[in-house]
Amino acid sequence: MRERIALVDVNNFYVSCERVFDPTLRGRPVVVLSNNDGCVVARSQESKDLGVKTGMPWFKLQDQARRWGLVAKSSNYELYGDMSARVMEVLGRHGLWQEVYSIDESFVGLAGTAADLLALATRIKEDVVRYVGVPVCVGVAPTKTQAKLANHIAKHTPTLGSVCSLDSLADQDVWALQQRLPVTGLWGVGARSGERLRAEGIDTIADLRRADPSKIRKKHSVVLERTVRELNGVNCLPPTAERADRAQVMYSRSFSTPVSSWEELDQVMNLYTQRATARLAAQGLRARVLTVSAGTSRFSGEASFPSRSVALPSPTADPLLLTRYAVSALRSVTNPGTQYVRAGVMLSGLDRDTEHGGQEQLDLFGSPGEGEQGSLFDDAGPGTAAPSGAAGGDGGSSDPGRSSGAGDGQQLNALLAAVKGKFGEAAIGLGRGGFSEEPEWSMKREFRSNRYTTEWDELPTVRA
Amino acid sequence: MPGADRFDAASRVGEGGAGTGQPTQAHGFPSPAQDYFHGGLDLNRLLVRDRTSTFLMRVEGQGMAADGMMDGDEVIVDRSLHPRDRSVVVAVLDGELTLRRWHERPEGIILATDDGAQVTRVGADTELVLWGVVTRSLHHV
Repeated sequence: MRERIALVDVNNFYVSCERVFDPTLRGRPVVVLSNNDGCVVARSQESKDLGVKTGMPWFKLQDQARRWGLVAKSSNYELYGDMSARVMEVLGRHGLWQEVYSIDESFVGLAGTAADLLALATRIKEDVVRYVGVPVCVGVAPTKTQAKLANHIAKHTPTLGSVCSLDSLADQDVWALQQRLPVTGLWGVGARSGERLRAEGIDTIADLRRADPSKIRKKHSVVLERTVRELNGVNCLPPTAERADRAQVMYSRSFSTPVSSWEELDQVMNLYTQRATARLAAQGLRARVLTVSAGTSRFSGEASFPSRSVALPSPTADPLLLTRYAVSALRSVTNPGTQYVRAGVMLSGLDRDTEHGGQEQLDLFGSPGEGEQGSLFDDAGPGTAAPSGAAGGDGGSSDPGRSSGAGDGQQLNALLAAVKGKFGEAAIGLGRGGFSEEPEWSMKREFRSNRYTTEWDELPTVRA
Repeated sequence: MPGADRFDAASRVGEGGAGTGQPTQAHGFPSPAQDYFHGGLDLNRLLVRDRTSTFLMRVEGQGMAADGMMDGDEVIVDRSLHPRDRSVVVAVLDGELTLRRWHERPEGIILATDDGAQVTRVGADTELVLWGVVTRSLHHV
């Protein structure tokens, strides 16, 4: 009996969701575009084979697309979110425990003999495609880092049939694989760490596995030390929900038309902060730090990504307070007349609001995009990295630091959630966030397929 | 604090109200039926066997009208079920989602509309891509 960790992820998740309801997309090159149909965030295998890269602007691809028969789809958040919830529920039924890592990835705890583990992993793969209709890869191993590696092997070794359990591979085969794969193939080892390791003669995963963890810690980081230990079968990654790097709530979007006045930016910040706060409150969390950011276009000369972090006087989920801080913080780093194409709000330094009995909840959207596609919400854009010196600022020129009264806004959040639940998302909002007409800068989704699973008038049709 | 009453009243609407059939005002005596009320009839419990594998589709065409699945009706499709002889299924034919009767014949599977206008022999000429099994029709009367 061995306890193991499976990492399950959906292959080309967004494209796979589209294909469930539109069989004509099967076998064809398909891409899914970011907000406002700007650039490629997800690709089918056929698109990858054609050399289409993530991040390519759609307008540069359009001509070839016609020649290739490549189909572009706008991001269909409603569909992907619903399909993700289904996948995660199916996965959860198979595990001793489950830890949702991103919209299309989850860790699942398994136990059994080597043969059991392989059978369980195969069953998981078959069930997800049978119940939800999307294909997955499953990697099973003693630690998360190894599970991620096993998943990678499953994905790139056609004979394994999308399932790889390290216990079912011969030790020498695992070593041979690790000798071939570069360290940058590992979870959390980026190009920069890869370069530094290479300078020390550590090229492959096998090299890193043999390295002395305490030396790695001194020369590099605790994170990399953990990677070494995990490669040697020692579990040292805590559950995702408890990890510091996950502790943020983000709301970031591109606009369909540039915004250049403070009035419009205020409106944007108002709405985005309320959305972020609603997510925060739904998870029973409070924030200590608020970071706002904006960005100008990459295609019009020198792009700039102003941002500012504000330390909040006390942990809070108060939408009024946070909105005031966000509006004035963004004003302090932007200039009227400049054309901004995106903006975002990040809430970090989170803690659990135990007073109000905050409930643990699966967070499908809050995690940094680690999968193959760009993050669903364009998170982690270049504008979000605030200069560290900015943290602990005073919250901008005016003093917005007056709370909305009792507690830290939980009552207000509950009220807003109740009204929205009853009368719809646009029914109520604070200040400039409370408008019922689609503002001009809201998103463009020209090639969006139907919201097949969430809207009565957009159901798939079946011909009789 | 002046606003507090409003918030309290509103949060009661959120918790009770239309969803539960509970009175939203907390004045006076509680209804004697309160202890016996555990929520109204939930159509999801009747119609959805497994929410992860259940999808709704809208019927286009009259080929299955004889069995009450008419143009414009919705059908409930469960992807996880295996069809039996005479099940109604959703199958992918020529890249299209189609509604068909599943006939198990000695010579193989036949997919057909009940009006006989569409008949497809699975095997030699057609690859079968079964999408799901229809469990209910939501007929508009």
